[in-house]
Amino acid sequence: MLELDEKFFSRFGAEYSPNEIIFCEYEPGYEFYFIQKGRVRIVKIINDMEKTIDVLGPGDVFGEMAILEEQPRSATAIAMDSVRVLKFHRDNFDALLQGNPQLAYKLLLIFSKRIYDAKRRLMILLLEEPNVKVMDVLIMLAEQNQQFDFESEITLNTTVRQVASWAGMAESEAQKELTHLARLDKIELYEDRIVVKNIRDFQRIVASRRKNLYSS
Amino acid sequence: MSNGLQSGIRTRTYKSGSIIYFEGDKSEYIYILKSGRVFLTYTKVDTGEEVKEEVRQGEFFGVKSALGRYPREETAQTVGETIVVILTLADFERMILRNVNIVRKMLRVFSNQLRRIGKAVRTVLGESENVNPDIELFKIGEHYFKAGDFSKANYVFKKYLEYYPETDYAKIAMERIKTINSGGPVKSKAAADDFEDFSMEHDSSDVFSFDEVPSGSKKLPDKGDINPAASSALSSEMDDFLADESDSIDDFGDFGLEEESKPKDTIKIKFEDGESAFKKGNFKGALEIFNEIIDSGLPSSDRDRHYFIDAHFYAGVCYYEMKKYKESINLLAEIIKNWSDSEKYKSAVFYAAQIFEAAGQKDKAITYYNRVLNIQPTDSLNGAALNKIKALQKGGK
Repeated sequence: MLELDEKFFSRFGAEYSPNEIIFCEYEPGYEFYFIQKGRVRIVKIINDMEKTIDVLGPGDVFGEMAILEEQPRSATAIAMDSVRVLKFHRDNFDALLQGNPQLAYKLLLIFSKRIYDAKRRLMILLLEEPNVKVMDVLIMLAEQNQQFDFESEITLNTTVRQVASWAGMAESEAQKELTHLARLDKIELYEDRIVVKNIRDFQRIVASRRKNLYSS
Repeated sequence: MSNGLQSGIRTRTYKSGSIIYFEGDKSEYIYILKSGRVFLTYTKVDTGEEVKEEVRQGEFFGVKSALGRYPREETAQTVGETIVVILTLADFERMILRNVNIVRKMLRVFSNQLRRIGKAVRTVLGESENVNPDIELFKIGEHYFKAGDFSKANYVFKKYLEYYPETDYAKIAMERIKTINSGGPVKSKAAADDFEDFSMEHDSSDVFSFDEVPSGSKKLPDKGDINPAASSALSSEMDDFLADESDSIDDFGDFGLEEESKPKDTIKIKFEDGESAFKKGNFKGALEIFNEIIDSGLPSSDRDRHYFIDAHFYAGVCYYEMKKYKESINLLAEIIKNWSDSEKYKSAVFYAAQIFEAAGQKDKAITYYNRVLNIQPTDSLNGAALNKIKALQKGGK
């Protein structure tokens, strides 16, 4: 987390109440945001339905694409609870970087992570069968935790909804696939976590499907 | 590019054809090409095609994977004798803290990459690229407006007017804002649409063929009464002018404080009595009370609606406990067919499955346990249903 004094907040800070829109998809955007307090929901309207793409919390950044490019917002940001953010305009970005090199470093970290995540997600989406997609989401979530021993059982703190959103499928479809895996005793499905019995098994399946994808 | 090198930072000389790192390696080093040539080879995610890229002198490589702490995505190989500067993350941080220009340049590269990947993701997801931001922005306003989410709609339409005051839609946006500020639309169209879907889906379901119970045999209140969203929108706005053919007008006609508060309290107190009897295991006594609530019909007030629905559920469970399965399933069917948004919906499906199981209708029981698995959110019933399915399947024919 960034350590910033109140003076800094009074210059760049902004507050939003629950359910308030911070910015809207397709709105021109010139600012990016650091969350200090509360959670922010990133949503898109797809086929006239509001789909949650991500939920961000303190320390997270959003709207960062506006830093360097003039493009409309690619999603809508909505405050979930009382949200406090730091809001930076692209015009004072240079001044901001000069005055806060730590922030600059943090931005690089965030972008690195985000590029990797986006690429990893693309790899999931490019798979064809829904069951393989779901497996690859579980692999990706397992990869995110460096502590995991892939040779034994792994407990992922995730929900059906999150798996669905990563796999780009409807929640009901993800539920169906996960239930199927649970029925085969490949995983155990709980409210707030998924236990994967043998992640190596999933890795083998996904790797072989991915290979076929390219060779065909 | 000024690298701001200081003593203590290592350089290393590689022979031609050496591998600096392999794809898949994990390492925290970041490199700068000082002299010679370095090629990065990687596989394109979307096509599987192998791509080779040359690093220019003075350029960083291996940055993202080191910073993001993930495996290298490319293999780095030298051509000709090559010297590179090797930085640890701490070296790198110190360096950029003194030279923000490096950060800016990197951010630009990263931002372009992210944008490209984002575009590929949208293509895979079937989201179109060729859109007019102004029309799309307006559409989002319409989405929230129709969904009855007026504060969001208000924000979007205001922004629309701010950015696109000269367009055809601006007039409509202005009208929408006026409507919202005057307390919302007279008739909630979204609610009506939902209701259409809602009733169609459930009318066509082949739910209950348990014994000879015809589906929908029990008298239901008129559909106009069931939809709470529509009723509330109507009740606040309704006047004689609108009310000509509506059967439900009587429910709202005497919409006075006194009348509203009285039945509300009664139903709440009654329900709590039923609940306490239920909890004590006095199913017969509880049943009497819940049946009274059901017989008094759907309450006109939204807030009381759940008592009416929950009464169906508890009465159903009472019958279940008393092993009167036919009566039980009749009540549970009401919930399953009409109130899929109720908190009791999932439990109702679960009980229905148990009843089919008790009645020896194994296939049907499995079907209903499966339905439980597909109802959000995932909770303890999922595990229970899954175990039931496994047990039923193991039992064999």
